[in-house]
Amino acid sequence: MSDVTIETARPSVWRKMRGNTGALIGGTLLAVIILIALLAPLLAPHDPIAQDLSRRLLPPFWHDRAVPEHLLGTDHLGRDYLSRMIYGARVSLGVGLGVILVSGAIGITLGLIAGYFGGWIDMVISFAITTRLSLPIVLVALAAVALGGASLTTLITVLGLLLWDRFAVVTRAAAQSLRHQEFIMGLRSIGASRMRILFLEILPNMRATILVVVSLEVANVILLEAALSFLGLGVRPPTPSWGLMISEGRDNILFDPWLIALPGSALCLLVLAVNLFGDGMRDITGPARK
Amino acid sequence: MTQTFSIKGLTTLAVLAASTALTLGTPAVADKASNTLNVAFAAEPEPLDTYKIAGRQGLILARHIYDGLLYKNLDTGEIVPALAESWEFTGPLTMEFTLRQGVKFHNGADFTADDVVETLNTVITPEYGTRYSISVDWIDSVEKLDDYKVRINMSKPFAGAVEMLADALPIYPHAFFAENGSAGIAATPIGTGPYKLVSQEPGIRYEMERFEDHYEGSPKSGATIDKISVRTIPEMNTQYAELMSGSLDWIWRIPPDQASRLEGRVLIISAPIMRIGYVGFAPEAMDGDTPIADKRVRQALIHATNRGAIVDAFAGGASEVLNTPCNPAQFGCEQDVTAYEYDPEKAKALLAEAGYEDGFKMEMVFAAMPRPTAEAVAADLANVGVTLELNEQQYASGIGKWRAKELPAFFSNWGSYGIGDTAFILSNFFGGGADDLVQDAELATWLTEADTSSDRDVRAKNYSMAVKKIAEEAYWMPMYNFNVNYGLSNDLNFTPHPDEFARWWGASWK
Amino acid sequence: MLSFISKRLLVALLVCLTVSALSFGLMFVSGDPAIAIAGAGGRAEDAEAIRQAYGFDRPLVVQYLDWIGSALTGNLGQSIYFNVPVTEIIGNRAGVTLALGFISFLVALVVAVPLGVAAALRPNGWIDRLALVIAVSGQAIPSFWLGLMAIVVFGVWYGWVPISGADTWQGYILPVIVLSYYAIPELMRITRSGMIDVLATDYVRAAKAKGLPMHLVISRHALRNAVLPLVSLAAVQLGQLLSGSIVIESVFALNGLGRLAWESLLRSDLPVVQAIILILSLLYVLLTMLADILNAVLDPRLRGGS
Repeated sequence: MSDVTIETARPSVWRKMRGNTGALIGGTLLAVIILIALLAPLLAPHDPIAQDLSRRLLPPFWHDRAVPEHLLGTDHLGRDYLSRMIYGARVSLGVGLGVILVSGAIGITLGLIAGYFGGWIDMVISFAITTRLSLPIVLVALAAVALGGASLTTLITVLGLLLWDRFAVVTRAAAQSLRHQEFIMGLRSIGASRMRILFLEILPNMRATILVVVSLEVANVILLEAALSFLGLGVRPPTPSWGLMISEGRDNILFDPWLIALPGSALCLLVLAVNLFGDGMRDITGPARK
Repeated sequence: MTQTFSIKGLTTLAVLAASTALTLGTPAVADKASNTLNVAFAAEPEPLDTYKIAGRQGLILARHIYDGLLYKNLDTGEIVPALAESWEFTGPLTMEFTLRQGVKFHNGADFTADDVVETLNTVITPEYGTRYSISVDWIDSVEKLDDYKVRINMSKPFAGAVEMLADALPIYPHAFFAENGSAGIAATPIGTGPYKLVSQEPGIRYEMERFEDHYEGSPKSGATIDKISVRTIPEMNTQYAELMSGSLDWIWRIPPDQASRLEGRVLIISAPIMRIGYVGFAPEAMDGDTPIADKRVRQALIHATNRGAIVDAFAGGASEVLNTPCNPAQFGCEQDVTAYEYDPEKAKALLAEAGYEDGFKMEMVFAAMPRPTAEAVAADLANVGVTLELNEQQYASGIGKWRAKELPAFFSNWGSYGIGDTAFILSNFFGGGADDLVQDAELATWLTEADTSSDRDVRAKNYSMAVKKIAEEAYWMPMYNFNVNYGLSNDLNFTPHPDEFARWWGASWK
Repeated sequence: MLSFISKRLLVALLVCLTVSALSFGLMFVSGDPAIAIAGAGGRAEDAEAIRQAYGFDRPLVVQYLDWIGSALTGNLGQSIYFNVPVTEIIGNRAGVTLALGFISFLVALVVAVPLGVAAALRPNGWIDRLALVIAVSGQAIPSFWLGLMAIVVFGVWYGWVPISGADTWQGYILPVIVLSYYAIPELMRITRSGMIDVLATDYVRAAKAKGLPMHLVISRHALRNAVLPLVSLAAVQLGQLLSGSIVIESVFALNGLGRLAWESLLRSDLPVVQAIILILSLLYVLLTMLADILNAVLDPRLRGGS
């Protein structure tokens, strides 16, 4: 019973991160985008929803027809594109975060319960998962829009209630394999409660797996939002969402391709950042391989 | 280690560069060489039984294949003979037609009174399921008087009867139609028209060929193009690409921005059509508990909207701001009415007078209108303190809510079936039916009178009173008349018409 | 093994029934089908006539039971829009979607698996980096952008391939490339991580230490185990490819089920939508069942499981 705290042999997370280039780049990029989103009101030169019908479809600065007040040009309603791009970060991050929180909570809980308890609980939840996977998202989105109108809340709710499947599948598999581990059996034998085991022992051991799923799903969510906006079932205008901007620019793709290229590239960067960071974190925090 | 980023960055930049540096090639040779007109629609045409078609695409094809008893010459506004050589009213509710002789169907059968009788008597039955009851519910029965004479007995007076007979009610071959019905005629369309259908993949592709034995004296005669090939290409950008590369000769419904970009590369024609955009106000919605139940509020909303700027920015071409709940090109659309100019100050004053100096919030559903137009209206109204909650719906859900009185404002458009007569718009919205959320008895009376009289002056007078009142009461915020942009091969001569029905029998190569 | 399969089959059927019931309900929530069918010029009377003609005024449950009853005997009803049997319409278009889906899937596999393996062999090497770039860009570029750019560059600019339509096999080239581009990232990631995990096991290290040449190590030991998660994912991917091609089919004017489903949805052609959903969910469920069986065959440990 020594008072001396023993330094663990593993170096701290932060130090490891500095060593892993993927996590570093991804993390930095992500931090930059988050910063842009948070500081949007300070960074954006114009109001992202202010229309000016006399200055529609002006091209970005590398074009001769460009205008100095609008560095990245204007869209079909004369709204400043740079400002919309900056505020768009908020929407993408917000939708991504919101949906992941909802779907993650639902999916992880269901997956844990199914994987750990097995039996008929597992059957019911597996049934729900398969049903959910066979149900077309577009149909649900269409119904939701008809009911509640297209809006950010509707979108997050719909996607959150639909995209929990991968979380559930993965955590279920992980829980199944973990429940037979010796240390878990050991805890049961000394009388630890099931809940405690589930949330305090099993869940933390899945951190890496969940992180991977999160990074895959964030990309998925953002793309889905773009796709739903494309079909008219996503965020409500004049919200500057990158997905919506892409769909609004669709008509002009042959003549003013920057309308899609700019938000498209922004999405690419965000997804790249998330993936790099997620991968890096997984490499760092994952349990040592046997 | 920025390698990944650079690779990714380079890839993105490369694609960006490729996309911004596009030289979209020189237009290739049109199909003038093979005398084939290559057409593309974005929406799928419906099965080719005119009586069951709602969309323009199918109707355009149908009018090339089938003929009606009469035909309307849009340049003069006159009704001219088609399958019927002459006609007259033999009583207040009876019309008699003398049919043309020597007309042949595409399958060689001769056209006689039997065809008229069989077709019309079948399509007026409720079981048949004719899509627009307005086109046939005025017919009670059709009798054969002799091989080339028929009598139509009307069930009620209907001023639009002759309009309907002008190509909206095609005649099918009686033997084939009796045996095969609607599905049969749609699968194998047989008519008397200037083109016959050679093959089709329903909804996807149609091939038509000129019918050499199309009857002499037909208002649709003179076709010079041998073949017409119609495809459905849902993506407009793909259509532009194909048009510019020469594999398409005729496309339509090009949005104004893209039309101006295509100009120079291909031939662009803008033509006005019957369709008009409108914002309907429902004073009776939500049991009358809505700001727009007050006339001053309605007038204020119209004053607050800069309709001129909206038209310039989004409609372009031949479109103009309207002050009437009908298209000026329609018979009976009185133009001497109260107009509400763009005047935000006046709008604010009216709102204050009505007790809304702090503005209010209101939902507006829009359907089948380009989003930017609705956003522009919302932006204008925001300037006078009215916050519009925009709700885009599919037309069906929007109209459903409108009829259920759940909406104070509905922004959409109405095409009047392409017909230049006020009968096909006003009574739907103000005649006391399910789409009438104003329920003004006086209006309903005038409109019924105008719709059923056969005296042009009586009709004009009643429509005039109705239009004036609707404008005065600001029941509608009329927006603008639509125009359609056509994209044509530089080798094509094509004349558009305001009823949105393309007439390729009149087109030719330069 | 038999009870395993039959249990799975039963679940599969139940899932399909649930999905079709859910989607039936959802379609009615999305708007009044009678009004949609009546079209934009329809008056209230027209919509009412349609409502009566197609029985939309009956209670939902009755309508559903009526439909599922006929469906189980093979009668999928009549398309409201086309006025021909649903099976005929779907038959015409299914070929396109199936061809598109399967070919894209094969192309994706052929590209993704070797790439994933190569990336796993040398983590953080240049192949790995390249794979990462492909993975990310594949995940983040909107499909219609890629499709349209492909059309512009290869169809308009260079004129190498037809711009749209599926008249000739060349018309499939661009859409297959675009579709498979979206399937590759996940397949590759799973292959890569599966391989990494397996390569690190003592079992494989021992094989390597024994002096076994690399390609034998991979093919005989590593791949077999790495393939397990791949099979499940592959089934899901195939299902998604078959059902998720609305955008691609629109851009390239291909007449497949995806576009048919979306347009039928918009014009409330219920029989067609219901039939497509039923077919696709059946397909999906059967594919996952197949994947499960394959997994059980490959890994005996899974057979007796829950």
